[in-house]
Amino acid sequence: MSDKPGLLAAKAPSSLGSYVVEVNLKPEFADAAGLTALRMLHDAGIAAARGVRVGRLYDLRGPLNLGHVHVAVRELLCDCVTQEFRLCHGAAAASPNSAERWRVEVWLKPAVADTAAESVRAALGDLGMPEVAVRCGLAYHIAAKCGRGQLDKAVARSLANPSIHLILVHEDR
Amino acid sequence: MKKPRILVLRAAGTNCDLETADACTQAGGAPERVHIDLIRAGRARLMDYDILVLPGGYSYGDDLGAGRILANQLKLHIKELRNFVRLGRPVLGISNGFQALVKTGLLPVAHASEQTAGFTANDSGLFEARWVHLRLNTQSSCLFFKGLPEMIELPVAHGEGKLVLRSPRQLEDLKKNKSIAMQYVSDDGKLAGYPANPNGSVFNIAALSNPEGNCLGLMPHPERYISKFQHPNWTRQTFVKAGVGLELFRNAVDYCRG
Amino acid sequence: MPPPAQKNRAPAALDAAELAAVQAHFRTLRREPTPAELETLARAWSEPCRSRTFAGPVRFNDGRKTRRFKNLLDETIVKASRRLNRAWCLSTFQDGAGIVAFGPKWALAFKVEAHSHSCAIEPHGGAETGVGGVIRDVIAAGLGARPVLNTDHLCVAPPDYAGPLPDTVRHPRRILGSVVSGVRDYGNRMGIPTAAGGLWFDDAYRLNPLVFCGTVGLLPAWAVRKEAKAGDLIAAAGGRTGRDGLRRTPGAGPDGNDASAVQVGHALNGKRLLDALLAARDRKLFRAVTACGAGGFAAAVAALAGGRGARISLEKAPLKAPDLAPLEIWLSESQERLLFAVPPRGLDAFAQACAAEGCETAVLGEFTDTGRLVVTHAGTPVVDLDLGFLSRGLPRAEKAAVWTAPKPAGAKAPAREKGLDQILTEGLAHLNVCSREWVIRQYDHEVQGGTVVKPLQGSRHDGPGDACVIWPHAATGDSDDFQGFAVGHGLNPAYGRLDPYRMALACADEALRNLLCVGADVSRAALLGNFCWADPDDPEQLGALVRAAEGCRDAALGLGVPFISCQEILRNQSADASGKTLAIPGTLLVSALAPVADVRKSLTMDIKGPGNALYLVGSTAEELGGSLFHQICGRCFGCAAPAADPRAAAAMFKGVQAALAKGLALSAHDLSDGGLGVAAAEMCFTGGFGAALDLDKVPRRSAIYSDAVLLFSESASRILLEVAPDREAALLKALRGLPAKRVGATMANPVLKVAGLDGRVVMESALSTLKSAWQDALPGRLG
Repeated sequence: MSDKPGLLAAKAPSSLGSYVVEVNLKPEFADAAGLTALRMLHDAGIAAARGVRVGRLYDLRGPLNLGHVHVAVRELLCDCVTQEFRLCHGAAAASPNSAERWRVEVWLKPAVADTAAESVRAALGDLGMPEVAVRCGLAYHIAAKCGRGQLDKAVARSLANPSIHLILVHEDR
Repeated sequence: MKKPRILVLRAAGTNCDLETADACTQAGGAPERVHIDLIRAGRARLMDYDILVLPGGYSYGDDLGAGRILANQLKLHIKELRNFVRLGRPVLGISNGFQALVKTGLLPVAHASEQTAGFTANDSGLFEARWVHLRLNTQSSCLFFKGLPEMIELPVAHGEGKLVLRSPRQLEDLKKNKSIAMQYVSDDGKLAGYPANPNGSVFNIAALSNPEGNCLGLMPHPERYISKFQHPNWTRQTFVKAGVGLELFRNAVDYCRG
Repeated sequence: MPPPAQKNRAPAALDAAELAAVQAHFRTLRREPTPAELETLARAWSEPCRSRTFAGPVRFNDGRKTRRFKNLLDETIVKASRRLNRAWCLSTFQDGAGIVAFGPKWALAFKVEAHSHSCAIEPHGGAETGVGGVIRDVIAAGLGARPVLNTDHLCVAPPDYAGPLPDTVRHPRRILGSVVSGVRDYGNRMGIPTAAGGLWFDDAYRLNPLVFCGTVGLLPAWAVRKEAKAGDLIAAAGGRTGRDGLRRTPGAGPDGNDASAVQVGHALNGKRLLDALLAARDRKLFRAVTACGAGGFAAAVAALAGGRGARISLEKAPLKAPDLAPLEIWLSESQERLLFAVPPRGLDAFAQACAAEGCETAVLGEFTDTGRLVVTHAGTPVVDLDLGFLSRGLPRAEKAAVWTAPKPAGAKAPAREKGLDQILTEGLAHLNVCSREWVIRQYDHEVQGGTVVKPLQGSRHDGPGDACVIWPHAATGDSDDFQGFAVGHGLNPAYGRLDPYRMALACADEALRNLLCVGADVSRAALLGNFCWADPDDPEQLGALVRAAEGCRDAALGLGVPFISCQEILRNQSADASGKTLAIPGTLLVSALAPVADVRKSLTMDIKGPGNALYLVGSTAEELGGSLFHQICGRCFGCAAPAADPRAAAAMFKGVQAALAKGLALSAHDLSDGGLGVAAAEMCFTGGFGAALDLDKVPRRSAIYSDAVLLFSESASRILLEVAPDREAALLKALRGLPAKRVGATMANPVLKVAGLDGRVVMESALSTLKSAWQDALPGRLG
């Protein structure tokens, strides 16, 4: 799982933009979804998990530039009071055998309908954006000193479901 | 006397519009359930109405945060909304409608052009459907509260109802402006934690109004308590209260009748 | 003709006999079936689309004699319901949803559907599509109904199950959490109150959890009948057709773990579709509608066409991906789609009404009077089938069923005597009895403002209601009409393990008791049956199913209450971690719907005050088989499952209903799992008042010498009433001839105190202890 597999049916030509935006709750706000995820990880055997924050991922592809992405983030994807965002850049982080902080991306498999993405696409159109392909995912930031294999297994049993999800596990920077 | 015209604004995913319109009718108003696309297409006009109600539901599925897309739609397609509020016409946002009003920046301070408050998931991490005790701000100039007792009960039903503010200082402004319209309290009227405060809102805030008092947004559902038979305890002999939620609608109607 | 398998892929669902029938049919046509035709037949004849077993021929041997059914369902439950011939049953055993009259102007459509293995693999998606599917079937009932209530029943393994599981199956705790969130996410978004339901825990559900989703819809009386006419256009509305809905991609591997087997619901599109349908219905813009469920367009077109004919051009269907093959379009089970029969003149108005709600439509073809189903794609023939053969050509093979009554299990003395208070506390904390509040609060059970009797009751809104009462004023638009309805359930697989016949009687009895307790008119009730069983090719499994069907038949006849719809899902068995087959226990859910003439006269089960009398109506016998008591104390005392007597129950229900209608009781609660002890405890801690019971006063059918039996026996048809002292005489008069006795009184002191047969106090428990046992159990075991 070193490289992210193509999430969209067709690979975007290089002239088109491809961006992944991650939106997280600002650190000053309690993350209820993170607490639920933490409990699930404990259940699944990661006793060492100390904390989880959950972010949302948006994979946007199409004839769009950075300006478009910033409008999309400001007007739609990121709530200016409660959330903050960052753009994820191509180079995948290391995926070592053990680490203290992990970042787990969970995406729906291409064959599974992504209903949230349909809403995003329509709302982007309303903002006057060009037609883009969208996929939505989740990013779990997990503070847990544990082995990679152990985490892989626990995530597949709790936070995600391999029958519908693609799961990418990396060290968190 | 002419019945005030009430716009019950609908969008894809709105689902409390029927009972909200019913409450408007019983309060003496003339509600119309209108899809936002109709206004967008110019086939209905906000300014033709005396009162605007944004009912609860999951507008546009709420996948991007509750009320976010509806808020964008309001900003993009109902340009007269700010004017409507400035003219002092009553605006009531319930649950999802409240969330949308906050995200348009109309609440808590209608003059602000940007959003100053927001919502996050309930502290419990769960959707919460339960009845709550609420204390009304008797200092507030909110036109919807006329004649209401200080303590009332209403049901809430939401997963993303924890109100948060951009800064602690803002809370002082809200207090000063008397914008905190309702707070979640325990049955003896004290500020208390879960489950009295079902979502963990800052300062137990359940509802906000603008300083002028004509725009109110609340997480609880007044349209679900317009008859005593909707209260969970109506079968108990000690129970006497009538449907207090109806009074909010009646106050808006009476206000328009002058 | 060579077997098509050699030329092409095998249509997996056709067995040898069916293949032979198909070959014989096509021989008369002097041509071979196309792959698409074989797939169409295979899907149309498959278990999800057709009751192959339940509505098929069965040879049943009960150890004494052999009986043959040509159609098991027809000759048991349907026949009994026909014999009752109730005028308010407007549409039964068609469409899936049964329709009953609701006052002169309205009707109610009710359907419950079960989902199983998909919920073990992807519980959230499985539950969402389950809820979405049953909602769509109800909104497509008649000419369209507005959903006013959702129900959910879950049968799962305990959340703290610690045994092994196969890799593909989720842990029971995950399944429970995800199923609840799936039901929540779809139901709440649709704006339908999920206000009735239940939980049942048993290890044997760990591979095949059962998720029963139900919907009640309200429709105008004029909209009950529908019929497509030749010349009507066939219009699809709602979501687009995609590969996501292909249960088994033709040519791909078997059902299982691949993502295409898992569907995801899209509640927002479901809501758009509902709004569009109702707008078009009220303008009378179409003549018939049906949901696209199992079998996709293929099944929906055949259902709407009836005996007529249809012509379809598949290239006109709006698609999610442009490269779908014709057969994929034809069979895809993509969610949120409806199929309409629209008169050509009204097409523009119909399309506009849908567009106004953001709902896409497309005309796929038209109905004809040729009796043929003709499907093309861009001019290329895909299917040309005789609709008569499609609907009636399925050869029916008789299946064998046997029933051997289990040897009467010997009563063992309990290993260690437990005190009555301990048994009661453990009983209240048992997963099948404890509070479901964790589930109920996640459902928006009060949207539409019509839930006048709520699932959680009492002074602190946290006690267990018997049934919900819905006042659909938002849907009728008439707040001066106080007519409502109630929905209750009966489910007890533990009785079924001993005797499926008695389980069926007990379930029907319990469902009606629940309705009775909230003040519904049970003489006008209607029942639904959902049968979830394991392998029907195993004669013992099928024999148990026959017993359950016969139980439903006798319950209907005895109680005088008809069934209006039955559904089954079979083959609920899977290989466990060691490769051994694990079957679910035969599970029957009986759901009951009855009108409430005036919702303002409904009752709740919480004790209303001190100094009132407690009356027990119905007689007790030593019936502890399958009981909560046995699960806590081991087998002792009478070990047969409770034997309900539907005729006696009918008389008792009539008397109690008359008494309640006169306002003679303050509260009513039915005795079910845990018997008198659990029922009294629940009434007390929900109301916040104590009670003293005298077991010597309990009406009984036979001599009983044990306090424990009197307190925990689960005999059917019993109800506990709270009665104000000045109403006691009137109550006794109203209940004359029925087994009814004053068994105690309520008091301010918050304890439950029980006097035994010898007159001494044999139990005294603080309500706070009992209540916290009941409340803390589920959250505690969820971790």
